[in-house]
Amino acid sequence: MARHGVRYLFIGNAGAVLLGFPDTTQVTELFVADEAENCRSLLAAVGELDFQLSASENEQILRGKDFVQLKNGPFDLDLVFAPDGIERFDDAWRRRAVVDRFPVCHMDDIIASKAATNRRKDQESLPRLRAFRDYWLANPPPGQSIGDA
Amino acid sequence: MAEFEQDAAPSPEELRQWRAEFEAAARRPLEQRLKYAFIKTYKPVMDDARFRAFDTTADYRRWCEENLPEWLGYGRV
Repeated sequence: MARHGVRYLFIGNAGAVLLGFPDTTQVTELFVADEAENCRSLLAAVGELDFQLSASENEQILRGKDFVQLKNGPFDLDLVFAPDGIERFDDAWRRRAVVDRFPVCHMDDIIASKAATNRRKDQESLPRLRAFRDYWLANPPPGQSIGDA
Repeated sequence: MAEFEQDAAPSPEELRQWRAEFEAAARRPLEQRLKYAFIKTYKPVMDDARFRAFDTTADYRRWCEENLPEWLGYGRV
């Protein structure tokens, strides 16, 4: 992703796990900046990751679908261009954490997104996520940076 | 089915337990955390297509509610 210059952030449980939240997840969710050039870079990157996309599927991503679910690669991948609870990609980008070399939504954004989605499974996980958010801010993990320098 | 208590406040015991889990996770290297975090179990309907795209996130949420088994937890509260 980075090599192709894709502007994206890990979000959802996968993002929380990267930040240190002890949990399991079945899908990697990426919040991707909804810009034509970025979508072209994204397609090149997911192709390199061995996701098999047809011309029609590529076209749908380029046309600006807000939510794309890929189950045709080495792992399940959700591409989210307009997550619930977050207004603009650039705002989330400014608040991002970086873990190793991976850009991740701030815990506040991960929580805001799940709270806005308001599914039963989100409601069940939110108290633990909020407790982790407080722990994470009080105990900054080594090797992680938060927000624009 | 019992009424789900929305976003119930955790008990002090739960908070102590969670904190112990967070501290244990913080001691594990990233690679190890990722190795054990990503799992795969079959989800009916959800896993039966290799590609889906929705014009809006709201369309996706609606599709989940109308098509997925309730027990998967994708229905909105």
